[in-house]
Amino acid sequence: MVSSRIRRAAAGTVIGLLALGCGQPEPGAAADSAARARKILRVAYNREIDVLNAFTSQMLIDIHLSMVEGLITTDENNTYVPVLAKQIPTEENGLVVRNEDGTIDMTWELQENVRWHDGEKFTSADVCFTWAFVTSDGSETYNRDHYLGIIDCQMPDEHTVVMRWDDAYGFYAGLFEAILPKHVLGNMTTREIINYVPYNRGTETIGTGPFRFAEWKSGEYIRVVRNDDYWRGPQYPRIDEIVWSFVPDSNARLNAMRTGRYDYGQIEPTQVSEVADLTDYDTHLVTSNRFMHLDLGVNTERGRRLFADANVRRAIFHAIDRQAIAEGLMQGTVQVAHTPINPANPYHNPEVPIHAYDPQLSAELLDQAGWRLASDGVRSKGDVRFSFTLLNRAGDRERIAIAQVIQAQLKAIGIEATFETMESAAWTQRWRSGEWEAIVAGWFLSADPGVTNLYACAGANNMTGLCDPLLDAVMERSDRRIDFAARKPLLDTVQVLLAEGARTLPIYYAVTPEVVSKRVVNFRGSGTNFGSFWNLYEWDLRQ
Amino acid sequence: MRDAGYYTPVSAFIGRRLLLMVPLLLGISVVIFAVIQAAPGGPEGALLETGRFIDPQVIENYRQRLGVDQPIHVQYFRWLSAALTGDLGVSFSTTRPVAEMIGERLPATLELMATSFVLAAMLAVGIGILSAVKQHTPIDYLATGASFVGVAMPVFWFALLLQLLFSVRLGWLPVAGTETVGATSMWDHLQHLILPAAVLSFRNIAGWSRYLRASLVGALRSDYVRTARAKGLPERAVVGVHALRNALIPLVSIMALNLADLFSGAVITETIFAWPGIGRLFVQAMFARDYPLLMGILLMGSVMVVFFNLVADVVYGVLDPRIRYE
Repeated sequence: MVSSRIRRAAAGTVIGLLALGCGQPEPGAAADSAARARKILRVAYNREIDVLNAFTSQMLIDIHLSMVEGLITTDENNTYVPVLAKQIPTEENGLVVRNEDGTIDMTWELQENVRWHDGEKFTSADVCFTWAFVTSDGSETYNRDHYLGIIDCQMPDEHTVVMRWDDAYGFYAGLFEAILPKHVLGNMTTREIINYVPYNRGTETIGTGPFRFAEWKSGEYIRVVRNDDYWRGPQYPRIDEIVWSFVPDSNARLNAMRTGRYDYGQIEPTQVSEVADLTDYDTHLVTSNRFMHLDLGVNTERGRRLFADANVRRAIFHAIDRQAIAEGLMQGTVQVAHTPINPANPYHNPEVPIHAYDPQLSAELLDQAGWRLASDGVRSKGDVRFSFTLLNRAGDRERIAIAQVIQAQLKAIGIEATFETMESAAWTQRWRSGEWEAIVAGWFLSADPGVTNLYACAGANNMTGLCDPLLDAVMERSDRRIDFAARKPLLDTVQVLLAEGARTLPIYYAVTPEVVSKRVVNFRGSGTNFGSFWNLYEWDLRQ
Repeated sequence: MRDAGYYTPVSAFIGRRLLLMVPLLLGISVVIFAVIQAAPGGPEGALLETGRFIDPQVIENYRQRLGVDQPIHVQYFRWLSAALTGDLGVSFSTTRPVAEMIGERLPATLELMATSFVLAAMLAVGIGILSAVKQHTPIDYLATGASFVGVAMPVFWFALLLQLLFSVRLGWLPVAGTETVGATSMWDHLQHLILPAAVLSFRNIAGWSRYLRASLVGALRSDYVRTARAKGLPERAVVGVHALRNALIPLVSIMALNLADLFSGAVITETIFAWPGIGRLFVQAMFARDYPLLMGILLMGSVMVVFFNLVADVVYGVLDPRIRYE
């Protein structure tokens, strides 16, 4: 029964059928690859993904990027690097030109000799088609608003794209992480593309990447095979096949890695000590662009009374021992954060004011603000007790554990924090509504360091209700700079203002422990939202 | 309607019950739909879960495409009118037809559940008889003790222990999935089946053997068993023919009711062993607030429960001819 199901799933694609001759080399593979054993990379993956369209998937798109490529990706240094583009346009290399009317022309020179998996030529028309799709009405690309500054997309020739922007935007280099094939999807409406199962599910998922889609067995795995016609040359990719097996339970994934049957798997930070004895594996603590933080909100009546005063927020931040959270709770796997921007990112400012753990100072600040210790051990001011609710997401052990530490440490300075725990989707809804007093949460930033969206008074993701017009002005300016030298000092100031204003308490930069077999060559883990598989084309497996 | 001397034939009984299923299932669908919608948060939560910044307009577009911006009754009647034509809609997260998604997960769930069911039934009957016949002996105490452990032990914990022993320590069995990708042998597939089936059956063995022990102990004390013994029947026939047949009635009806589980899968076991069944699909659908997929799975589960209730009633009558259908 099982094998008949496999056959049916694969029947739609020639690739799938060919690949079913398991253990046999792909027809057309280089002669030498026939001589040696197939190199199969086996990955224990966290979850089953939703769709293979990189612009409509609601999940991280690392599996996608093995098959589909974009103009850019991010490397292990959180820096954008070109993929289908020959280089990233800048003013220095003359590919970014300011027009008199304030618009900007940005020229992308594309790699030549690139072919889609079905043999069609990859051209500038595909890039402009992707732009049109992402910006269309009804588009569901999460950062669609970032693309809206592009007002025109021109194709002077097959390998050149000129994008005209209505203004300068700092994040321009982080767009187009994938390109859609115009010859497959070009005749459809936006909604038809979003709902187009053959592209979403693999049978027509055509990319330019080092691997081609082979098989998606529902609930079990996605399998991709070597693209023999890869544009970087016949030496790439070096692996014949990748199998992403979905192992959703983190303890089971740990056990799976310990059996030695997989080459790659992500585990929880608290499990790191349990893989220390695996001699055939390295554990890479890849600092992710996700930063854990404590937010205090002033949208509710109680929130306003307690947290509107920046000195009170400061007092709370000084009462929390983040080093203890990093060392104790997270077993020293994470690095304490003082700013949202990751140290791996060139825009990180190491000189921001630090809310050091200092309960004495906390107490003084609270006393000065008029919050006096009452007989029940909780501070109060007038008839208001200093008591608030921390909103927790059920099942998120990491965040709840942090919340418990915070609760205990605040109690020590006379502040009472109670918990309200909600199931994931309910928590998200409540969080988005802004109707809460405090939360521990994690943002996942792209490699672009812009945080305007998070902290501007009218930022779509500012759920705290806190607002600082000066900060807004600096962030707005930083968003309009496209060269590093001009943008960096502005973003440095932004990070300082965030810390001085006690807008949020960054706790630590989350790490993703990635357990990688010593057989794997060229693993260069990246913590951005494009993940660690960004350079799969050069990965190899020692035999 | 109780009418002495008049009994409905089994076929009419079954027919009437089947007809009653229609309004019952309609009612169930309303309740499920309402409950799903009543849960706070919507499918757009999936967009926000990764912690990326989301363009608010995109959330609006998403809700519009899925139709969740409409009033609940509109959504329900839209769903119902499609469902009546056999169309269970498309999944929010994968854009694929719900019926297809359920259909491709069903074989794995059926295989796992049926294996564990048969395994559990065989062992439970054996253990149940043994501990009833050898009541108050060390064998009975051992079986009783093991049963309590089996019922009390959390499934996820037991599953992880088995993984640690048989997969990590001994290296005999795989941790996850239904096959080693690339291997085509039946043995490879069976190796994958052993641990999840063992975990699932353990609990049932424990529960069912206790049921059988209790009812068999009762039966062995009854008058007709004493009569059977008195007329000189061998002990094997007394237990096997006279006592066991009656003692099986409660167990069989419980097992028939449990048959519905064959289709709904096992949420925890399937998740831990990465078994691609309905239970795991349900968990995914729940977290994603994938309303059509949730409706499809829950409705299928309801149909099975209602159906196997009927089966249980019929089986009851077969085992005990004194029971009459009305």
